[in-house]
Amino acid sequence: MTGYCVAPRPSSLRRTQGYASLLGAGALCLRPFCEAFAPPASCRALTGERMDLLLHLCVVIAIYSIFAMSLNLEVGYTGLFNFGHVAFLGIGAYASALLSLAGFPFFLCLAAGLAAAGLAGFLLSIPALRLQGDYFGIATLGFGEILRLVFQNEVWLTKGPMGLPGIPKPEMLGVRFESLPEYLGLAVVAALLTYLAMGLVTESPFGRALRAVRDDETAAEILGKNAFAFKTRSFVIGSVFAGLAGVLWAHYTSFISPSDFTLNETIVVLLIVVLGGKGTRPGPVVGAIALIFLQESLRFLRLPPEWTRYLGPMQQMVFGALLVALMVFRPEGIMREKRRK
Amino acid sequence: MDILLQSVVNGILAGCIYALFAMGLTLIYGVLNFVNFAHGELIMWGAYFLYIFISEPFSLPLVVAVFPAILCTVFLGIAMDFAVFRPLRKADRLTLLIAAMGLSFLLRNAAQFFWGAEVQTYGLEITRGYRYLGVSLTANQILIIVVTVICVIGVYLLFFRTSIGKSMRAVSDNLDLARVVGINARRSIRAAWIVSAALAGTGGILLALDTNLNPEMGVINLVKAFAATLIGGVGNLWGALLGGLLIGLAENLSVLVISPGYKDAVAFAIMVVILLTRPYIVTGKRMD
Repeated sequence: MTGYCVAPRPSSLRRTQGYASLLGAGALCLRPFCEAFAPPASCRALTGERMDLLLHLCVVIAIYSIFAMSLNLEVGYTGLFNFGHVAFLGIGAYASALLSLAGFPFFLCLAAGLAAAGLAGFLLSIPALRLQGDYFGIATLGFGEILRLVFQNEVWLTKGPMGLPGIPKPEMLGVRFESLPEYLGLAVVAALLTYLAMGLVTESPFGRALRAVRDDETAAEILGKNAFAFKTRSFVIGSVFAGLAGVLWAHYTSFISPSDFTLNETIVVLLIVVLGGKGTRPGPVVGAIALIFLQESLRFLRLPPEWTRYLGPMQQMVFGALLVALMVFRPEGIMREKRRK
Repeated sequence: MDILLQSVVNGILAGCIYALFAMGLTLIYGVLNFVNFAHGELIMWGAYFLYIFISEPFSLPLVVAVFPAILCTVFLGIAMDFAVFRPLRKADRLTLLIAAMGLSFLLRNAAQFFWGAEVQTYGLEITRGYRYLGVSLTANQILIIVVTVICVIGVYLLFFRTSIGKSMRAVSDNLDLARVVGINARRSIRAAWIVSAALAGTGGILLALDTNLNPEMGVINLVKAFAATLIGGVGNLWGALLGGLLIGLAENLSVLVISPGYKDAVAFAIMVVILLTRPYIVTGKRMD
């Protein structure tokens, strides 16, 4: 091999140089990142903190992805504009939290959380699915608000506005998901399973029927598809997975209160779905990553401390404006849904 | 007995305000065929505009400040239509719906940005109500009834005694047909926004006078206004009026039976009952 060397042609050389400079630029961009995460021994505490923040963001992204995927099934694939999706997050979270505080194993709590959310979804769907489009939206919005009132008023069960502190970390198959990396593992596995499940649901005859119902309900009915039944099933499946996100959320933060389950959550998850691209498989995940990083980057703005009061509303104003702008300029979101023939 | 009577009176008062909201909501629905999710924010901003005009740089007296406040609300309504809903006129319904939702979120948090999430008041002195037959009524509450009656009469005159009202009804019945016979649809739509926003602003101010202001006041009332429009038949102005009164009464009478914490849930419960028993009224068939 030695001595057998082909001089690169000028064009490919230029290209290589181009790549090299690109790489260099990339490295430059990444440098603050590398500095942030590569641990010089002197400041391990700081890096630990930053590492924790990154892991925390990843957990949040995984949980929001699950939540958004469940909404995407309803909004994107079935055309059900559920503006009270947060209710099912809340039901899953409260059911699991209450049971695990009562000492039941995580396995059971998880099952109960999913079952409770699914059941609530089924019960709500009976009256709500008689409505079309906007009416369905307002009916579910009202349901979300009522659920919050229930969490707030049924003090004997939920401790009301005080919330439920000290929700234990989950323990399953002999593993206790105590530390951040462990919990991240759990959340990512759950997100992956959700992704696969959504794939099974949507890339199947069932999924095609859902899209048919979404695009033209009458046509679907004529072809013998019971639109109401398909919508109900989609709604229940969506609710179950929202419940899963709720369970993961409750055991992750170890504290939940009614103020975690407000309309704001619904807006955020709706924004994730439409930003990522409704009716696409990777859309909700892309949307969750984009939105959580956008949200966290606002935190790094060096604002004077007296401005912190304004930070929350400002961030939410940005979200609202983003939602409006998306609808006006690019309603299909980042990932565009492929229209199949 | 006194409590019952007082609840009925309170119910009528709340009902008047809900009726104003519901009429505005149903009007926009009739003309543009979508539920304006940001209607609640018109209510809330109406109340806050008044707050702006009575506090510092302006410091107008309350009675005077009402006019610029309602004017500003009307401008906000028109601006909303111009910036968001007009570009989406041909978009599908659900795109419109999400845009309205985002707009509502934007406006709600804008209010929170300026005034925080805390409850504000107009700083009026608390007055002792007049008592009559064991029922207490404050001057503000009498004002609510009077203003509502004036608004309803005004809307009636506008819709059935003027040409712009007639063209709005035509557009609401069938947009394309109205265009064909030469009705200026754009003008009718603008008129609908003006009336809707003015009703929302008036209602918001009355509500804030009787209770207080907070950025969440819009959303809560949107659900109630919506329930009221469902009772009355969607797109039906007089139905919305009746529906509003019914929701107000039901809410205030329910407090005698259930925990006041669930007062806000009553409208929703009524909505569910209607949907289960009379779903045909929401399928778009108008009753007028």
